[in-house]
Amino acid sequence: MNRGLLERSVREVATVTLLCGLGAMVFEMLVAYAIRTFQEQLDQMAGQWLQLDWVQNMFKGLVGSEIGEQFGAGALNSLAWVHPVLLTLLWAHEITICTRVPAGEVDRGTVDVLLGLPASRWSIYVCETMVWLAAGALVLALGLVGNRAMTWLLPSDLGYDYHQAIVVVANLYCLYLAVGGLALLVSALSDRRGRAVATAFGIVVASFLLNFLAQFSTPIRNISFLSLLNYYRPLLILRDGGWPSGDMLVLLITGAVLWLAGGLIFNRRDICTV
Amino acid sequence: MSVIVIENLTKRYGQRVGIQDLNLCVPEGVIYGFLGPNGAGKSTTIRLLLALLRPSGGRARIFGRDCWRHGHVIKADLGYVPGDLRLHSWMTARRALDLFGRVRRRDLRAYADVLLARFELDPEVKVRRMSRGMRQKLGLILALAHRPRLLVLDEPTSGLDPLMQDQLYAHLRERAADGATVFFSSHTLSEVEGLCDRVAVVREGKLVADERLDDLRKKAAREVTLRWRHPQSADQQPPEFLTVRERRGLEWRCTLTGPVMDLTRWAATQPLEDIAIVPPDLETFFRQFYQQDTLEP
Repeated sequence: MNRGLLERSVREVATVTLLCGLGAMVFEMLVAYAIRTFQEQLDQMAGQWLQLDWVQNMFKGLVGSEIGEQFGAGALNSLAWVHPVLLTLLWAHEITICTRVPAGEVDRGTVDVLLGLPASRWSIYVCETMVWLAAGALVLALGLVGNRAMTWLLPSDLGYDYHQAIVVVANLYCLYLAVGGLALLVSALSDRRGRAVATAFGIVVASFLLNFLAQFSTPIRNISFLSLLNYYRPLLILRDGGWPSGDMLVLLITGAVLWLAGGLIFNRRDICTV
Repeated sequence: MSVIVIENLTKRYGQRVGIQDLNLCVPEGVIYGFLGPNGAGKSTTIRLLLALLRPSGGRARIFGRDCWRHGHVIKADLGYVPGDLRLHSWMTARRALDLFGRVRRRDLRAYADVLLARFELDPEVKVRRMSRGMRQKLGLILALAHRPRLLVLDEPTSGLDPLMQDQLYAHLRERAADGATVFFSSHTLSEVEGLCDRVAVVREGKLVADERLDDLRKKAAREVTLRWRHPQSADQQPPEFLTVRERRGLEWRCTLTGPVMDLTRWAATQPLEDIAIVPPDLETFFRQFYQQDTLEP
């Protein structure tokens, strides 16, 4: 591992990672606070709303599993890990990081200097990968810290299973890997960062919508296995416990295949800045 | 020994040809000028040497190694300044040198300080606050700081003031005297005329000349100015070795297309008031090169 390349990448992503990490922490604190403060009202409201089929389906689309009649502690806690704000923050962070090389460097014209250094394209790609993985772990860890801190500050009868929360975050990290692999592949194919970001984000949003709309339409449900969100179901983990090894494996393999394809393309492609 | 060997190198961008069957040998320890108008294929050739582009045909070798397959090994002993130099805005010269030193696994500080002083660059200014000339200086220092055996410079003087250009030329001559090789790309001849030992000229992706500058000078046509004593003499037909480009009263401005001895013999018999034979104008000569397929001395 080349220390200079690592240092360069860390310097490039440090600000966005800190901002997103703090954002995730604050958001998790707010959600945990809201759940604990307005628990009774939420239970009442949910009890009424969940009588409606489409609301049931909407929640199912979000948390990845049937909620049932009872809007219990598991459902409430799982909302903290599937809220679109958190997912958007996470995806924005990794898409920003993963489209830096090569698309961002080509776009800015700094790739000429980077590739003028005695480092193979693979080593540059691996360095970027290490930084992306570490940055994602940091953002999620800060989110977990925020969530945990608020449950410690505001104890409630909702309960908090730390082990289960870690399993949810691990599953979310696998989703992070799959989305990052996709962003790296798109970046390897692109010369313009804006285009790479838009493409990656478009695919991820389409994936989110596919998973969400699958609850309302049978034809869409038949292809919902194509959605990455189909393999992230925090309510199941929080309600039933255990590791969703199948879902995690699918996400890990998807991420690995996309990452490898991105690396191969970056390693063989022409780099044109003019 | 040749540091750079290019054999039938071809690069196509879809239907468009970047360079076609380029052959070139750059010997060790020379300053090699690589000339051509904009879009001739200079930067494409350099990008192939740097393994930024993959050849469509042929191959390029540096230090005996294939540029595409062993690019990262070659670059340990290569310094490169791109034509359109861009650096990260948060870098200072000091930070960039530290970082590059770590990537190259070498301590660049001692020699970098010499270069910073020579090129008069403040090491603590961030790139975002640098002028174009300062950024160019930083790019040059980053390329020179590890004392590479080969320097590939793509129009390196753009943005530099004349004094700094002289500093750069002096430094490159010193490096060449130490045995380093310099591959110097430019689109202006005057820049390489006083610096390079040898030049190659590319036009529309093809090599049209690869010679020593002295040999090229010999091929260049001399400019001749004749001033006649009488208007009647000025109206006569010129001899076959002289092409009159312009007649202005008693004065002819001509290009000598034959031997000088023929001109002097003929001039001795003519009613001339004055004659001036100007040394070969390489700039004009190169303009012809850029415009014609082949050189016709």
